[in-house]
Amino acid sequence: MTTSPQPSSDATRLVTPAMLVLWLVLATVPLWIARVGLYPYLGIEILIWSLYALAFNLVLGTAGLPSFGHGAYFGIGAYAFGLCQFNVVANLWVCLVAAFAVAGLAGALVALFISHRRGIYYAFMTIAFGQIFWTLAIKSHGITGGEDGLLKIARLPADFGVARFDLSDNVAFYYFVLVLFALAVVAMWRLTHSPYGRIVAAIKQSETRAAHLGYNVWLYKASIFTLSAAISGLAGGLFAMAQLAAFPDVMSLHQSGYVVMMTLVGGGLVSFWGPVVGVFVFLIARDVIGALTNAWMLYFGLLFIAIVLFRPEGIAGAVSAAFQKHSLIRRQGNSAMRLLFGGERWR
Amino acid sequence: MFDLLPHLLNGLTLGLLFALIALGFMLIVGLMEQINLAHGSLFALGAYFAMQLMGSRPPFPAELAKAWLALPLGWRYAATLVIAPVAVGIVGTAIEFCMRRTYGKDPLYGLLLTFGAAMVIEETIRLVWGTRDYVLQVPQAVSGGFLFGDLIWSTYRFYAAGISVAIIGMVWLVIEKTSFGATVKAGAHDSEIVRALGINLTRLRLLVFVLGTMLAAIAGIIVAPIWGIRPHMGVDAVIPAFLVIVLGGVGSFWGAIVAGLLVGLCVGLSGAYASEWSLLSMYILLVAVVTVRARGLWGKKSVLEA
Repeated sequence: MTTSPQPSSDATRLVTPAMLVLWLVLATVPLWIARVGLYPYLGIEILIWSLYALAFNLVLGTAGLPSFGHGAYFGIGAYAFGLCQFNVVANLWVCLVAAFAVAGLAGALVALFISHRRGIYYAFMTIAFGQIFWTLAIKSHGITGGEDGLLKIARLPADFGVARFDLSDNVAFYYFVLVLFALAVVAMWRLTHSPYGRIVAAIKQSETRAAHLGYNVWLYKASIFTLSAAISGLAGGLFAMAQLAAFPDVMSLHQSGYVVMMTLVGGGLVSFWGPVVGVFVFLIARDVIGALTNAWMLYFGLLFIAIVLFRPEGIAGAVSAAFQKHSLIRRQGNSAMRLLFGGERWR
Repeated sequence: MFDLLPHLLNGLTLGLLFALIALGFMLIVGLMEQINLAHGSLFALGAYFAMQLMGSRPPFPAELAKAWLALPLGWRYAATLVIAPVAVGIVGTAIEFCMRRTYGKDPLYGLLLTFGAAMVIEETIRLVWGTRDYVLQVPQAVSGGFLFGDLIWSTYRFYAAGISVAIIGMVWLVIEKTSFGATVKAGAHDSEIVRALGINLTRLRLLVFVLGTMLAAIAGIIVAPIWGIRPHMGVDAVIPAFLVIVLGGVGSFWGAIVAGLLVGLCVGLSGAYASEWSLLSMYILLVAVVTVRARGLWGKKSVLEA
């Protein structure tokens, strides 16, 4: 890319107007979601998957690393939450930290092996590790409950010392997830716009160039992957709370593929908010089309093909291109796609 | 040693099947530098088409169906080995027509497109045939078993291994020994020059892609009697295919074949001692190899790793 996009003033903010609007809208969701024919649990699911997809997009969108086995860390977080609750201490904060830390540890271990790989080899190593974790989860009956999953995970109360909130109700739990989601969004927004995030984005454009500028490319790739795995694990821990159980299913290749689809359909490559848009569209489409026909994946697959062919920058990219008449976003989108596998291949 | 022999043979036949499954995938990756994630679904589609053709209600008009059913099973099987891949080739043509738009862009586009196509094909299979398991009828001559050294061996496994060797050999001949193969390889190496020489590259790519999808279908028909026919079989096939290619190294024909055999031996031998964990062994093999050798066993530099 010859011209770097001008950083907007939002990039320096802790909380952007877009975030405030999103949070306000999300905060009203329990008031009307039942009236439009949906149900409060869907709101929880959307928030958790949004958190997961945003974490995933740190790797795919920000760093340009094709990770296709991310479900593993989401699942590991869910199991860690449940196992910590059963075997260590039944405290919400400890269990959530465990979900974050164990998934991060697994991510760090994988990062050790894959961070000097690129393109197809990187992609397949992530798949291989994802399958390894998935097989372990299914086969270790004694620890994870095998295919039946880890059942009877409780929604522990949120204890703040001065106040204690019971989260067993879906609406209360929704607000709890929303708060965590908001905090995580701020953290990830700051991260992607920090000097560290800039360097990671530079590695996406060209690993070789970044290395020649003296940056330790390996370290950046490994750390962003680890961080993404850890936040995915946190989302997984929340998912275990939401489902009251942890299942190996979320670690399968299919589910790992879904988060890639959500991120790309939404436009994660060009927009910070893309993954969130994608999760909304995916989960609501699942419920709405799924209510009409059993073959909703067929229609979603066709939609996905159409998006790849005609709107590769995703929904967020298409919307912002429509809003801002000039072509900056689209150019960014194309170069993001072109550079996803690492950059300098057009000699 | 003799105790191990059945497992070794089992692993080798399995390895040849893995190599066969990976063959069509390899062709498309090696010659077009495109990752066809629909490979597994086309593999499954081939098996379903064959099952329909070999079953009691073939998808033909009434008159033709009667004549078809009157044929001996062996002839029907031989014809199925041609008709089903051709039918899958037509689906492959449709995918290639979409994929065309992504050439010259990042390979990720093609990968995502075929991922979507895989979803659509798998859901279509579920819609048409349901989620139940099917069995593919095969002629008497290749089914059943025989006794050798106090052990019962499945005839079909040896037949499948033999077919795999034959098809691998044929594909090698086409790529290495014909002018078609030479042109295709040249097209992969430097498309501009090939076009300047007046060769219709668009048609050439279509041919390669369709050939790859037909090989997927043939693999599906050959493997179906061993693994069974169910919607999930596509995913069960595309992952080993991908793994074999990465292990062998992108762009290496013999790399893929050797990797297929290695994976087969690995799964076969670990299956003998710890059947629960046998599927894990191939991933561990891959991680071990790729950690040491960045491009798999004999991989070449490719845009896929740019």
